[in-house]
Parts: sequence; structure tokens; C-alpha cells
Amino acid sequence: MVYSAALQEEFRKKGIKEGDRIRVAGEGGAFEGLMMPRPHHGDAGIIVLKLDNGYNIGIRPLSVALVSKSQKVTRGTEQDDDRKKGDIAILGCGGTIASRIEYETGAVYPSISPQELRATFPALERWPMHARQLFALFSEDLNVHHWRLLADEIEKEIKGGSDGVVVMHGTDTMAYTSAAISFMLQNLPIPVVFVGAQRSSDRPSSDNEINLLNSVFAATHDFGEVGVCMHADTNDDYCHIHRGTRVRKMHTSRRDAFKSINSQPLFAVDYRSKRFDPLSEYKKRSKEPLLARKNLNPNVGLVYTHPNIKPEFIAKLDIYDGVVLMATGLGQVPTNSMNDKTVHGILPQIKGLISSGIPVVISSQTIYGRVCMRVYSNGRLLMDAGAIGDGADWTPETAYAKLCWVLGQTKDMKKVGEMMMTDYAGEISVRSEACP
Amino acid sequence: MKIGIEIHQRLATNKLFCGCSCEISEDAKHCAVMERRLHPVLSELGEADRASKAESSKERVFEYQVFRNNCLVEMDEEPPGPLNSDALKVALQAALQLNATPVNEVQVMRKTVIDGSNTSGFQRTSIVAMNGHVDTSKGAIKIPLIAIEEESAGIVSAGDPKATYRLDRLGIPLIEISTTPDIKDGAHLTEVAQKIGMILRTLPGVARGLGTIRQDVNISTEGGARVEIKGAQDLKMLPKYVETEEKRQLELVKLLAELRSRKALPVKRHEIDVTKAFHDTKAALIAAGLKAGAIVLAQKLPAHKGLLGKELQHGKRYGTELSDYAKLAGVKGMIHSDEGMEKYGITKDELAKVGRELAMGENDAFVLIVAPKAQAERAMGHVIDRANMDYVPQETRRANPDGTSSFMRPLPGRARLYPETDVPPITLTKEMLDSVERTESLEHKKEKLEKMLNKEMAGRILKSRHLHLFEKLVASGAEPMLVATTLEETVVSLRREGVEFPDLEKTLSDIFQEFGKGTFVKAAMPEVLKGMAKGARAEAVLKVYRLQRITGKELERIAEECGHDMKAIMQKFRLQVDPQEVSILLALKKKAKETRQN
Repeated sequence: MVYSAALQEEFRKKGIKEGDRIRVAGEGGAFEGLMMPRPHHGDAGIIVLKLDNGYNIGIRPLSVALVSKSQKVTRGTEQDDDRKKGDIAILGCGGTIASRIEYETGAVYPSISPQELRATFPALERWPMHARQLFALFSEDLNVHHWRLLADEIEKEIKGGSDGVVVMHGTDTMAYTSAAISFMLQNLPIPVVFVGAQRSSDRPSSDNEINLLNSVFAATHDFGEVGVCMHADTNDDYCHIHRGTRVRKMHTSRRDAFKSINSQPLFAVDYRSKRFDPLSEYKKRSKEPLLARKNLNPNVGLVYTHPNIKPEFIAKLDIYDGVVLMATGLGQVPTNSMNDKTVHGILPQIKGLISSGIPVVISSQTIYGRVCMRVYSNGRLLMDAGAIGDGADWTPETAYAKLCWVLGQTKDMKKVGEMMMTDYAGEISVRSEACP
Repeated sequence: MKIGIEIHQRLATNKLFCGCSCEISEDAKHCAVMERRLHPVLSELGEADRASKAESSKERVFEYQVFRNNCLVEMDEEPPGPLNSDALKVALQAALQLNATPVNEVQVMRKTVIDGSNTSGFQRTSIVAMNGHVDTSKGAIKIPLIAIEEESAGIVSAGDPKATYRLDRLGIPLIEISTTPDIKDGAHLTEVAQKIGMILRTLPGVARGLGTIRQDVNISTEGGARVEIKGAQDLKMLPKYVETEEKRQLELVKLLAELRSRKALPVKRHEIDVTKAFHDTKAALIAAGLKAGAIVLAQKLPAHKGLLGKELQHGKRYGTELSDYAKLAGVKGMIHSDEGMEKYGITKDELAKVGRELAMGENDAFVLIVAPKAQAERAMGHVIDRANMDYVPQETRRANPDGTSSFMRPLPGRARLYPETDVPPITLTKEMLDSVERTESLEHKKEKLEKMLNKEMAGRILKSRHLHLFEKLVASGAEPMLVATTLEETVVSLRREGVEFPDLEKTLSDIFQEFGKGTFVKAAMPEVLKGMAKGARAEAVLKVYRLQRITGKELERIAEECGHDMKAIMQKFRLQVDPQEVSILLALKKKAKETRQN
């Protein structure tokens, strides 16, 4: 609650709490209703009152009185489901898809219990499933710690005999997490499907339902990769399953924000028509034993190069154990290959990082296309300095998650270079396909 | 009986939560189509709104036509922008004219609507002012709240399972004004609606023209229920809706008493598939249904005989009411035993078979629904639910042009409103309220118009959609009566001939400016206007069509030519001479002649 200090004092004196029925006298007359929490915007001296007709209005109070205390029932603590062999596991990590609204106040919580999940999506009944909440955070707050925790939980599900795993996750950093899990858990014997929602779950039009049901439906099928299940287009029709290392969020708000970069989605899916169409090559459920290499190095930076970038700034990146640069075009940074007096190159600083044992990995700001540092001299100089990435068609986020993972496996610079350029989870392709 | 009214007035600003224009044209073609579904969002208490539940039972798909004046906000693909301050200003001006007090802070709410008319599944609405009133001949009528809200999408077709809407009008700002149910009678209702409508029309930012204002009438009778009649277009029809609804509820109360005395309620749900009885039927409706895979589902309504055929409104029976509920499941209707079976082509033999299947007694009635199994069962469920209401149900009903009404959906319960967290609240500061100009009151405006026009024309201009254009033209120096007749008569009759003015304001400012210079005469006004319809300037039209005024020496010359005969001059040069000038000239000539003769 962010009411003004004076109002808070007034509430305290009169024993008024959020949700209580109060009477507020303002200039326009006296109004009765429920006291609502103050939104963060606006004037903290104005009381938000829910009238009996359901509307909220803001009144600057001349006087306030308590009418009756709130009858609000406190929510009981709800239990996680028990794991059952052969079930689909739904793991909650927060985000829009797993958020619920408190209708009285309008507050949104990034958390949903298994009971609430079933009540909200009754159609989940058609698949045997169990659910639990791992953490309840907005995706921009997630980090390596959460990737590790999630990988541990997915491994538990695999070992416990689950038939597929669905991960409910915020969309903003979903591509980082899906890429990281792709490297940490290889030879997957079951599908791991990330799912999110672009439009808030408190609206009847939310994309959460179709995305979730399609993700569970997809998780029952025969593929052994990390996928991301989101709307294929603006219609509430079918979803795409994207490869976890290839996917990127390409729009701030649209339902079809998620796109496969430099590749086709894995599948088109629709649980209603039981459609599960492969759109590109994919791995079946692995018969080989699960390869869990879950160590990560969190101390990695991702930096966007730009005109006017300062050499000193690049030098300061030595606080990291590894750096991914989002370079321009085919993979260039200002290196001043023309020896022009007006140019400030950053090549000496990059060389400095590499020679002190900090790998520098190149990806492109163009997002689409392959890094080809051999074409221009600025790129060649970068390559000669030992920058990694020539020939890779990865997204910056995948390059980033991969470097965190590689540096969790080895500190040897030569090995880092080799591992970065080895395709582990479909993140690098040999050829850029001409046909869509 | 209690009567209240809710008025929705569209504004002519941009849309309420995005930068899209509110100018829409019925002829515009959509540029894209999208398909969506809505699912009810359960509140924590697990209660879905009763209107929402009725809608969601239809498992519907919504197709939306997207237009050039749409953006991602109307497609529900982008969060809304801030509330349009121009629209808020007009709402505040309306509040001042209706003697209401603005709230200190406007809070935007979401009102759950899942019939597909909003892509988001809710309508954004906010209270702007409270505690107003409007003075009428029968005392003041209270206006407890004035709200500003988004217009819904327009329905194109309401099919099952797919309904189609057009998004061009979605998001147009509406001012919502609702009165307390203190309106005295039908005539008073018309007066209140007219008065509020006129007050709204005096505001500069409101939209004018067909469909820009809508009235919903709330009626409740003693022993009956509250019913909302939506979409009445003609204000003169309002008393008729009140009268019809009062009678309908009275008849329903009588019918309920009869049902009670017959111990006919509750009806136990026991529907039977009687498709077999019609395997070789000549009944076209049933045969077509069966061919398409439908079944015939029958349900007995014990001790209902004769009551289904009881007329409640002109041409509408109790059976019609049940049938309207069946339509909630998307079926076209139902057949009941108080109807003439001949009109469907159902034979005595088929009827007897159905009777045997249902074990019909002397006083029983039945209903038949022809539809695919699941849909027929849903529809029958709605019929039985309605039949078991031993009270007059609260309903939203559609106003039919003949003064009757038809069931649309159950009256929404206490509206499910929750905060629109994407739009910050707006504090109405003193500076902001001071910056809202107080517009001229309706009374003052009327008085002013009556001074410059005759009473009849003043009344017409006050109601006209061109009121503000009239005021502008007069302010720039044009003669009021000429402006009024041009707007209300000349332009109207030219339009009837098919002459359109894409930019009426520009055309009229030009023509009145030219007229002010005295370069043409009043009689030529329609001809000049016609010439200007294609976009030409008045000056050019005068030259090309030879409509310049003839005056002075030239007038003397043609008067001479016509033998100083008024009739001959006017016949030949009607569009170019000012009759007053001609008669003065002729009088002078005559006088001169007389002087000479003397």
C-alpha cells in the first residue's frame, strides 16, 4: 500500500485495513465502499474506493470512517501434487502464464497452485499430470541459479518416470533458459516444453490456455529436445514448438512474438484436432542415457557494440570470465583497420581480454544470418585476435547461455573455442537453408 | 413500475486508448481477418458471472475483421495507451451540463464481457463524475453516475459456433449516462431521453449521425423483475416499449399463477431422442436437419398444455420465450405442441409416435429441438432452466422495431469489474478541471438561436447534427437564416439528388465568404453548391456556370432588353439577379417615366 503518511496514520488510528468497508466524505459528497490498495501511480492522498456497483473511484478525503471490517477469507496453503509415473510434469517458474489476479484489488501474483491450475484450465483433465511451483518470479529476475534449480528438477522428473515436462516460464528471458537447459541436459528421454503467455492471464482473451494445453499435448509425443510452445500467429488456432536453442522473442506484446531464428520451428501443434506436424528435423526420445552436465559459470557478460563505444568500457569487461559481443553485420566491431585518426577502435582491448584468458564470442545484431568474420578486414582482425564465432548462426542469447555452460565445463581457452563451435543442441547449423 | 434509462453517446475524438481515428464507414473493406476464442476467467471465489456463463456454454469462435483504422490495441496484441484526454474533457463537459461532481481520480476498470464483442474479453470503463441531475417538466431526475467507456466491436453475423465482428468501431469513446429509476411514465421517458440527448449534442466533441447515440431502458414492475431493453433507436417508440414490457410481465405473472395452480413446476429434465419417429418425415425443417446429422430431441412439459401458446406480447408467446433461451445454444429455435403442426408438415402419425415416446397425458405439452446431439442437449437444458423459473426472470432484451422485445441474455449480475492495471489512474486536478471550458447550457443556446432564427428553425438547428457548423458559419459573418436553410434544406435536397460533399465545412465556408462579397444571388445557391460538390472553389464555379450576379449598368441593360418587365427579367435571369434590386430599378424607371410624362 502506498498511501500518504498522513492517510496511513488516519487508517491506523481508526483501525482501517485494506478491504474494510469505509465511508469517505469528499467535496462531491460522501461515498461508501471497500478500501482498495493504492496503485503505484497517481496521488497518494487520494483514497481508492470500490463502490457497490463494482466501480473504483478516487476521492480526496475530508473525513474517513470505518463502517465494517472485511469478511475476507484467508487462503489456505495449498499442497504440491505427488509425482506419478507416466504423468506429464508441470513445473511453475512464475511469469504471466502462471499469474493470477486478486479480483477485489486487481493485484497480480506470479504464482498459481496446482489446484488453481486445474480450476483455471479444466481441459487439463484429459492428460494425467502433476504440478508444482518451483519459484514464482518474473522472468527478468531469473538467473543462472534458477537455471540450475530448474535443471535439477527436470532431471528429478526424468528419473522419477514422468512422460514429459512442461515448464511455465515468463516470456522475456524464456529463450535464455530454454537454451541453457538444452546444453545442461542432453540425450533427453522425454520432451521438455517451455510455455508462456504474452497477454495477461486475467483477461478472457489470454493466450495462456491454448499455449498451455498445446504444450502438455506436445509433451506426450515422441521427441527428445527442449522446445518452446507459443502461438504460431495472431489467431487462437495452433502453436509452434520452437527448438530451445533457436527461439527468440521478437515482439514486445504480440501473441506470435516467438520465432525460430535461422531455422524452422520443430512442430505445428493443435490439441483440439490432435495435430502434431513436424516442420523440420528433430531428435526422437533418446534411448541413450541422459547426459546431465549442469555446471554453469554465471560470470559472463553480453554486450551490444555501437558507434562511439569506448575502448575503456571494453577494457573493463575483465570483471567477467567470458564475454559475448553483439557485433554489427557479419561480425564486425570498430577495429580501425583503415588507420584513420578520427576512429577509436576497440581491438587492443579485445586482444587484452583474450590474452588474459577471457574468451570473446561474437554474435550479430542483425539476429538473422550467420557470423562471417572473414569477409571484411575489421572482422578478420577480430578473428586474428582470437574471437570465437566465425560461421556460427546462433542467436546472441543462445551464444550467451552456451558460454555460461562451456565455462562451467572447462577453463582451457582452446577447449572453450572448440566446445563453443561444436553443435550440441541444434544451436549451430552447417547450412543456411534456402527454402522456408 | 420503475423506469430508468441509460444513454450511450459516441465521441468524435480519437479512440479511447489508442491513437486510431473514430471515423468509420459502413462501406469500408477490412484488410485482415483473425480468429479468437475467449474463456471465462474464474474469480477467486469461483463464481463466473451468470451472463458470462450463459455465453461460454456456447463454445464459440470469434472472427474479427480488422480495418485500416485499427492498430494492435484493438487486436488485443498491445497494451492500451493512456486514457484519451480529449475524450475525458468532453465527458467532464457533459458532467458539468448535467450538474454532476467530477471524482478526484478516474480509475479505469475492466468489465467482463465474453460474448466476443471485445477482443480482450472485457470493456474498459471509468466513472468520471457522480451525483448529477437533469431538470424535466415532472421534476429533476437523478443521474448517479457518468462514465466514459469503450465502444464494442460491431456484429457482422452471429452464427454458431462462429460469430463475426468488425473491429473498426471498437474503442470509440462513449459517454455513459444512467438515471435512477424515477422516470414517471413512457412520455416522461421520451422527454428525459430527448433532454439528455440534446444536452449531449450541444457539446463540441460528440459524434453525430445515425447510430452515434443509443438508449437502453430499464423497466421493473411490481411482482415482476428488472429488465433492460437494449438498442431502442426511435425515441418516440420508448413509451411503446414500456407499455409492452409492463403487459408482458403482467401476463407472465398470471401465467406463473396458472402453472402453480396446475402444480406444473418444477419440470423434471427427461429428454428423449425421438429421431426414429421422423425417419421418413415430410416436415422440411426436420428432414433437412436429419440429413445434416441432427437428432430430434423431445421433452415433456407436464400440465403446460395451452400455456406455451399464451400470447405475452403482440405475436410473441410463452413458447417464444422458451425458444429464445434455446437459441443460447446456437440453435435456430424449437417446436412446441401449442403450435399448429401442419405449418411444419408434421403428420398426425408422427405426432402420435412422439406422444407415445413421451407418455403424454391430457394436459401435457412438449418441445422438440432439431440439432446435432450435443447442441440439442445444451439447448434443451436452457429451455428447461427457463421453464423452471417460477418468477419473472431478469433479462437483457432486444428492442424490436414493432415495439416488442426479444430475450438476448440474462441480465448481468453485479458487474464483474476489476482494475485495468495497464492504464494508470488520472488525478483530476483543479488546473485540469479549470481548463475544461464550461459549454453553453442547452437553455441558453436555445434562447440565442430563437433570437436569430424563427422558432421552428431554431428547434431544427438545435437538434441538427450540423449545430456546430451552423455556429461556426454564423460566427464568421454569414446570415443565420440563410445558413440554416442551406444546411437543413438545400444540402439535404441536393444529397437526395445524389450530390455529396466530402468536406461540407470547407465548401460552406467558401460559398458564404463568396456570397458575402455579393458576387452571386441567393437563388443561385443550390446551383453553385452543386458545382462545388466536385471540389471546385465557389469563384471558379461562378465563372464556369455563368452564375455571377448581374447588377448596376448591366442590370439596366437587360431590364431594357426585357422591356422593363419584371416577369420576363426573372424568367430569363432568375439565378443572376437580385429580385429586390430589380424591383427597385423598375420602380425608379417607372417613376422617371411618370415624371417625364408629367
